[in-house]
Amino acid sequence: MTTDTVTLTGLRAVYGTGTRRVTALDGVTTSFASGTFTAVMGPSGSGKSTLLHCAAGLDRPAEGTVTIDGTSLNDLGEDALTRLRRDRIGFVFQAFNLVSTLTAAQNVELPLRLAGRRPPARDVEAALDAVGLADRARHRPSELSGGEQQRVAVARALITRPVVVFADEPTGALDSAASRQVLRLLRGLVDDHGQTVVMVTHDPAAAAYADRVLLLADGRLADELTGGITAAVVAARIAERDTDPTGISRPAADAAVEPSC
Amino acid sequence: MLSVRRSAGAFVAVAIGVALVTAATLLLASGRPQVPDRLARAAVVVQSPEAGRADSFAPTRPWSAARATELAGRLAGLPGVAAAIPDRTFYAQPLVDGRPPASDGQREDAHQGHGWSSARLGGLRLTAGEPPRRPGEVVVDRALGLRPGTPVTLLTAAGPEPYTVTGLLDAPGVHVADDVAATLAPGVRAIGLMLAAGADPERVGAEARGVVGGDGRVLTGDRRGALEPRGDARTRWIGMQVLTATAALAGFVTVFVAASTFAFTVAQRRRELGLLRAVGATPRQIRRMVHREALTVGGAAGLAGLLVGAALTPALGRVLVDVGLEPATFRVRYVLWPLAASLAVGPVVALLAGWSAARRAARIPPLEALREAAVEQRPIGRLRVAAGALLLATGAALSLGTATSDDARDGATYALYAVMALVTGSTVLAPAIVGPAVRLLRSPVRRRGGAIGLLVRAGALTATRRTASTAAPVLLTVAFAVLVSGMVLTTTAAYTAGRADNVNAGWIIAPDRAPGLSDRAVAATGGTALLPTTVFVTEPEPSTGIRPLNALGVDPAGFAEANRVLDVVAGSLDDLRGDDTVALTASAAPAPGLPPEPYPVVFADGERVPLRVVAVVTDISVPGDLLLPRAVVRAYDPSALTSTVYVRDRVDPPLGARIIDVPAWAAEADRAEDRLVWLCTLLLIGVSAGYGAIAVANTLLLAAAGRAADLRLIRLAGATRRQVLWLVTAESALVVLIGAVLGGAVAFAGLLSIRAGLAEQVGATVDLVVPWPVIGAVVGLCLLLAVLASVLPTWRLLRHRPARSAVGIVAG
Repeated sequence: MTTDTVTLTGLRAVYGTGTRRVTALDGVTTSFASGTFTAVMGPSGSGKSTLLHCAAGLDRPAEGTVTIDGTSLNDLGEDALTRLRRDRIGFVFQAFNLVSTLTAAQNVELPLRLAGRRPPARDVEAALDAVGLADRARHRPSELSGGEQQRVAVARALITRPVVVFADEPTGALDSAASRQVLRLLRGLVDDHGQTVVMVTHDPAAAAYADRVLLLADGRLADELTGGITAAVVAARIAERDTDPTGISRPAADAAVEPSC
Repeated sequence: MLSVRRSAGAFVAVAIGVALVTAATLLLASGRPQVPDRLARAAVVVQSPEAGRADSFAPTRPWSAARATELAGRLAGLPGVAAAIPDRTFYAQPLVDGRPPASDGQREDAHQGHGWSSARLGGLRLTAGEPPRRPGEVVVDRALGLRPGTPVTLLTAAGPEPYTVTGLLDAPGVHVADDVAATLAPGVRAIGLMLAAGADPERVGAEARGVVGGDGRVLTGDRRGALEPRGDARTRWIGMQVLTATAALAGFVTVFVAASTFAFTVAQRRRELGLLRAVGATPRQIRRMVHREALTVGGAAGLAGLLVGAALTPALGRVLVDVGLEPATFRVRYVLWPLAASLAVGPVVALLAGWSAARRAARIPPLEALREAAVEQRPIGRLRVAAGALLLATGAALSLGTATSDDARDGATYALYAVMALVTGSTVLAPAIVGPAVRLLRSPVRRRGGAIGLLVRAGALTATRRTASTAAPVLLTVAFAVLVSGMVLTTTAAYTAGRADNVNAGWIIAPDRAPGLSDRAVAATGGTALLPTTVFVTEPEPSTGIRPLNALGVDPAGFAEANRVLDVVAGSLDDLRGDDTVALTASAAPAPGLPPEPYPVVFADGERVPLRVVAVVTDISVPGDLLLPRAVVRAYDPSALTSTVYVRDRVDPPLGARIIDVPAWAAEADRAEDRLVWLCTLLLIGVSAGYGAIAVANTLLLAAAGRAADLRLIRLAGATRRQVLWLVTAESALVVLIGAVLGGAVAFAGLLSIRAGLAEQVGATVDLVVPWPVIGAVVGLCLLLAVLASVLPTWRLLRHRPARSAVGIVAG
């Protein structure tokens, strides 16, 4: 049985004023089921990052509601929202965003320390072990490679056992080998632990790791793929949309099935 | 999350602030009145009744000779009292080689004479010779190098008198036979009680209080410090004002500098703080984090400052004595409360300074972690604009108060608060002013600067807050220096001009190495003399206080001729003759017009004399409160000294005098005071300029670290090393220039209002005196440190080749 961990209803987000007014999201309604891996794609300015920020409670939409694990974010004040984010949501950034003065282990335990809890050392060790960095606990970010830093960031996102992990271009700053490691890690979380993961990416190869791909254009939900997702299929669908932005003529993409890795 | 390097500026600022506060409060606590050595052996001293406010430093109202004898007799009869000795003090100055010794100008007690019995009160013993018994015999200070039996000339109020040294003492001043002292100083201001062995001073004091009642004060123990020379009390009071002002300024400026450092640190850490928010820190936690950092810095810096301040205090105390801000009897004493208070200053100041930074830090949204470039957005908040506008309005209102205030002292206070408000306001509003100011300066920079001009302008415009926080300390420093020094010099010049304007004479005879001129010296000049003395009137009901008044003994015809501003509103100065007449100023008169009833005053000899009021003059007519015939002053104050003689033509100055022209006399009339005022002005400017320089250097150092990536990019884009150095130099110079111009504008606004106030008070146009050397030094210091603080780190950075360090994404 699957339930929806995250529900978005009629999201609208607007930035700037007057002639510089930009509608980043224009009525998006969707949901992310528990234990699934969703990729959100779209060209620059399509609103995919805004969608992620709104869903994760980092930004507030102008209209619409966000519900995470049964709690509506609209009703929460800044402190309550922070607490919810801290306890129920994990976030992985493109630029790693580790605190440079803290070691890997300290970075991982930071969210719990901010919540006023001191996690047992073995929990931190286990979290680092899960991302394959048990031996790097005492290193600072500057002593780690990009891929390692991003895996520390994943471990930090998981330490609070969140109901959903949001990742914003997690492989954007990594080479392909490191990207594969991080993506396999996220995939493993979904398969082995039933973790819900939502990832923004512009890379079809990264999207291929997901169970479902949402395509955004001009702040609206333009297309959706489920099942049989490969890099080629995703790339083809994007190429189609570029030539046929209305998305009316829809080829039977489901026919071209290749096993995903 | 604490970074020592980032907080270094705040640490230094708070440490120096606490050191200054520690030193100032320790010195303040040490500056207690000292029991004069002369009276140290009298366990109980009865002092004649106080007159006037405590900070007027008027002498006490003396008892007459008869009253003193009667009181001494009754006090001597009290149980436990071995002797009650009236202490008399008068002017007497021994001449060495026919002139007053050079050192006597400063020491009040070196030209004081006393009766021989007073020596008992200080436990003084002859080191050689005999006590004085007859008129013409004197005991002098051993330090003069005279031997018993040799003749000596004593300069007294009457003139030089021949005396014979009968003995030597190891104490300043001269002692004559008691009968002689009683003629020279009939009035008595203190009666010392020598106690029998084993008598309790407090109990004797209580009984003495029963004897004197309201006609004096009974002093025991440390309270006998009230007997210190008036000059010492005055010097100490000035010193206290300077120390208080320094401590207050140090505290005020410390908050400023530390606040700008914290604000800057927070601005630099926006990304990091946004990240913390994103991974789950609440605004409250961020605020508490900044507070805790501020507290840690404040506590550590406070401790360091306390130790430094306490260690430096004795040296500072000696300096204060040397420049004449504390009396020679001043000793530093380590007392607990100043140390405890100073220890609290560090954390409190740091918390105050961190308050707004913490508030701003807590408002950083979590999305800040995702922004790439550190381009500042909203340059200034609405609350900040409101606060700045309010402060500027307050400053303007206070300036108006300065301009319309009648009292000079009130005016100066208003001016200081006005400037504090104006400076704080313009610093708060600086980010809003910086944009237009940079645009205003744009054209010359654009035409001359080429690529560098473009970069400088763009940098200053986009990072208005960085520019503003660097310009703010310059603004503060320059505004303060210009205003305070300008105010002091303009005021001095205005008063000097006013004084010179009032006098109609060719030359002026003034005392030289002596407190005043003797009668014989005055007679030798043949000019118009002023003979000042202090008289006392009882204030009308319901107040029963005693009011000291400055009386001038004059020859009315000569005085009227030499005085250009004399304005008689009632009666006539021609009637000022005989032995019972007086002319009052309007404010000393009990009612408008000539009062028909007698006007009773108490003279220096303690006698109460009813006088006839023959004239009333305006307040600005005379440099005092009332005029008396010269002979009247002399009759009731045998030791009064002439302060000034107006003469028409140049004459040879008599003994203990010199001749100067009117402008020179006007300029030096308050020279000692002006010197002290100018000294503390420079001290205050030094404190604020030092802080300003620290703040500028600190902000630029922090900014240089944050701009490393930028500068490397500029290098990669093809700029030579020299061009980059020029860029940072031009940037710093621009910032200092903006701060100096804004600060100068604020200060000139204040100065103009002060000038308007002075013009009204002096009744003449007043020239604005602007101390360009001081301003130049302050701006130059800021410029020098600013350029050093930005060029040195850049130069270090540029030693490496541009491509060696990463330019791209910087983690966390």
